[in-house]
Amino acid sequence: MITAERKPFDQIKTVTDQFENILVVGCNTCVAVCLTGGEKEAEILATQLRLQRQKDGIGGTVETVTVLRQCENEYVDAVAAQVAGKDLILSTACSIGPQLFADRFPQVRVAPAMNTNMLGVVKEHHVWTEYCAACGDCVIFNTGGICPIARCAKQLTNGPCGGSQDGHCEISKDIPCVWQLIYLKLASFGLEGNLSRISGPKDWSKANSGGPRTMKKEGFKP
Amino acid sequence: MERELTNGISRSTARPVPGDARLRPPCEVACPIHTDAQRYIQMVAEGKNAEALGVVRETNPMPQVIGRICAHPCEEACRRGSVDEPIAICNLKRVASDGAKAAGLGYEPPAVEFTTGKKVAIIGSGPSGLAAAHDLALMGVQPVIFEKQPEAGGFLRTGILNYRLPKDILDEDIDYIRGLGVEIRTGAGVGEDIKFDDLVAEYDAVLIAVGLSESRPLPIPGADLPQVLLAVPFLENVNAGRETEGLGKEIIVIGGGNVAIDVARSAKRITGGKVTMVCLEADNEMPAHDWEIADARAEGIEMVCSQGPNAFVGEGKLEGLQIKKCESVFDEHGRFAPTFCETELSVIPGDTVIVTIGQMSNLSFLPDTGPALNQRGILIFDREQCTTSQRGIFASGEVVTGPGAAVNALASGKRAAIAVARYLGVDVSFSHEPVAIAEVPADVSEKIKPAARRQMPVRDSDERLKDFEEVETGLGEVDGRCEASRCLLCGSGARYSELKCVACLTCVRVCPYGAPWADKDGLGGIDAGKCQACGICFTQCPAKAIDLTVVSEDDLMASIARTVTAFGGELELGCWYSQSRVAPDAGFISLPCTSRLSVRMLLHALESGASKVFVAVCSEDDDGHFVHGHRQTRAAVAESQKALAEIGLDPELIELRLVAVKKCMAGK
Repeated sequence: MITAERKPFDQIKTVTDQFENILVVGCNTCVAVCLTGGEKEAEILATQLRLQRQKDGIGGTVETVTVLRQCENEYVDAVAAQVAGKDLILSTACSIGPQLFADRFPQVRVAPAMNTNMLGVVKEHHVWTEYCAACGDCVIFNTGGICPIARCAKQLTNGPCGGSQDGHCEISKDIPCVWQLIYLKLASFGLEGNLSRISGPKDWSKANSGGPRTMKKEGFKP
Repeated sequence: MERELTNGISRSTARPVPGDARLRPPCEVACPIHTDAQRYIQMVAEGKNAEALGVVRETNPMPQVIGRICAHPCEEACRRGSVDEPIAICNLKRVASDGAKAAGLGYEPPAVEFTTGKKVAIIGSGPSGLAAAHDLALMGVQPVIFEKQPEAGGFLRTGILNYRLPKDILDEDIDYIRGLGVEIRTGAGVGEDIKFDDLVAEYDAVLIAVGLSESRPLPIPGADLPQVLLAVPFLENVNAGRETEGLGKEIIVIGGGNVAIDVARSAKRITGGKVTMVCLEADNEMPAHDWEIADARAEGIEMVCSQGPNAFVGEGKLEGLQIKKCESVFDEHGRFAPTFCETELSVIPGDTVIVTIGQMSNLSFLPDTGPALNQRGILIFDREQCTTSQRGIFASGEVVTGPGAAVNALASGKRAAIAVARYLGVDVSFSHEPVAIAEVPADVSEKIKPAARRQMPVRDSDERLKDFEEVETGLGEVDGRCEASRCLLCGSGARYSELKCVACLTCVRVCPYGAPWADKDGLGGIDAGKCQACGICFTQCPAKAIDLTVVSEDDLMASIARTVTAFGGELELGCWYSQSRVAPDAGFISLPCTSRLSVRMLLHALESGASKVFVAVCSEDDDGHFVHGHRQTRAAVAESQKALAEIGLDPELIELRLVAVKKCMAGK
């Protein structure tokens, strides 16, 4: 899933204080699953905003609505009635959500309430870890099912580097060296020798370095 | 709250068990009148006795009577029974009615108008006739009850003794029914003072609810001796305060049922002599309720079991009862067919025998042209439609069902009321039989905290034998609330919306009881049999796909706003299980554990105008009523405080406070 964390309230407030009627829009997909921006969190943020604005003597309204996915035109368009009359749409989705709201409701100002951070997995309840960098050219068959792009600080394709210390990355003792993990995993299949072959240069044009990407699929079109 | 018309009176439908709206708590299913025991127990736990009585009254026309003498099949079905002991449901009904009465609430009948213009004659003012009259009145049909005895109540008055059911209590329940506009003509014996056919001619329908008003005699040698008495006239005398002729000092009661117990206990009180019960059944097979047998034994009544009466001994005056060993009571089909060892005879000395081997109806008031009887003299009767062979003539109660508990007679009367009302054109239907939620699984049962059942206090056995005053004195407020808080709230926990679920698995991960489940396709649900209604999944669900059945989010939010508006200032969100306050001067909402409070609710309290919110919580070294409950409460308060700090408000506006005493969690 895409994970995102709510921005510090001060940052949000700096924006929202400028507007009178605000619609907080939750997203019930990735950010709901990572427990930061679904319907529940959107309602909490809206309540916080109302309390803060009451305290600070700011008038207007703060309402909330949640859609299933803020990355689909149809779901975004479905809340047009709630958007009507609002000065600001505050989205608790990943950064896709506020952008699509800005596309679909060009006359209304839009702000993100979240910082989007990664494509990750739930390591344990309330803990998420990055597993994918969306590089567009997956190599993990050769690396024992472990991604060196997302999980190596240097995105090395021929690791480890000299900073690998007792199985940890030199940047933090809390981060395992992914190349150590890759070595151990391949060794469990007796394939650690594969690591002596050098991987060729990676094609970064398929990643974001090649500019914004568009994906197309063949098949039936209505 | 959404309501629909069932049983002729309104009843909440706001608490469907997830997955099947007909799944209900087993106490309610087992109750012949399907009283929503869980809902009134919840109110007793909160100290809202008048509201609790209101819930009882939704289905029960005689709450005070049934709160004392009910055979309480609900308690046999109670799921708490598999954890430690069932909830004392019957006693809690009495807590509700006693408490409401003390507060001067809940005894004013609603104003009723007989909008249908129809009139029904009901023969008999026992529980069945009274229940039918009560419900018919509420459906706009005018009932008139004909009672041959000088006072109303049927066997409740003539057969049940004051020490179990005080007459003033019976009067109050009957007065409430009278208050609905039900006319009760006492001293009006049908067949004697009034002809049955006259009723048929004058009324739009007739309900026969005459019960079993006569004792079954025992036709063995010596039965005509003057000291051989029958139970019904004896009990009638006792209840009317009349002396019974021929009563000696050494009394033998034949029979092992509940009525026999009443006869024996009465004889003991009147004579102070030796009272012996003789019954066919073995000690552990006696048909009387265990608690009745125990009470009788406590009062010094002896039981001679597995013995059948052979002959009354004595010439002109009874000297004893000859008995023979009873080898079996029932045949292989479970039918009553006692077998005896005719050679193993003995004599119990005694100067009086009271025969209490069962009762029968007296239908001699029916004319030959009236409803037909079968070969055994029993009314021909359709159990579904409560009809007899004559159109417009209905029947209910023990005259057609045979002997049973008072609550069964109420149920029969209530069904007959619907049948009669339908016949008279009232748009009402028979209610569906509810289905009970599954047993508590063993892995869940072991996680439920034991809590001792509160015992009904009784007067000392020496003291109570001196009079006919009530033996049980009532649980009282504190024990009542503690007992009520033992309720597992079966089926009233998490309510899951498939439509809103985002399959995030949070509920599966946080539930301490393993109730939520999900498969590889993200399809899931919450097993109502496992759910304990702690509320943790509800507070954690990011997509708001889970709500709680008992105290839904909307209801609790509204209640918070109402309480803050009513009391202003400070609010305490407290705990049932402690029965103590953490902020005694604050407005108060009592919850089955504060673990069900979400961050949004806590902030909502401040948004609604509370100047301060106190949240009761157990100490960290004790898990409280629910597994992990206090941890959720602490987390919600910590998150809320953080949210307040973020917006520049004092985090201590929401304050956690330890509950001082957990009165209800431990034993007494």
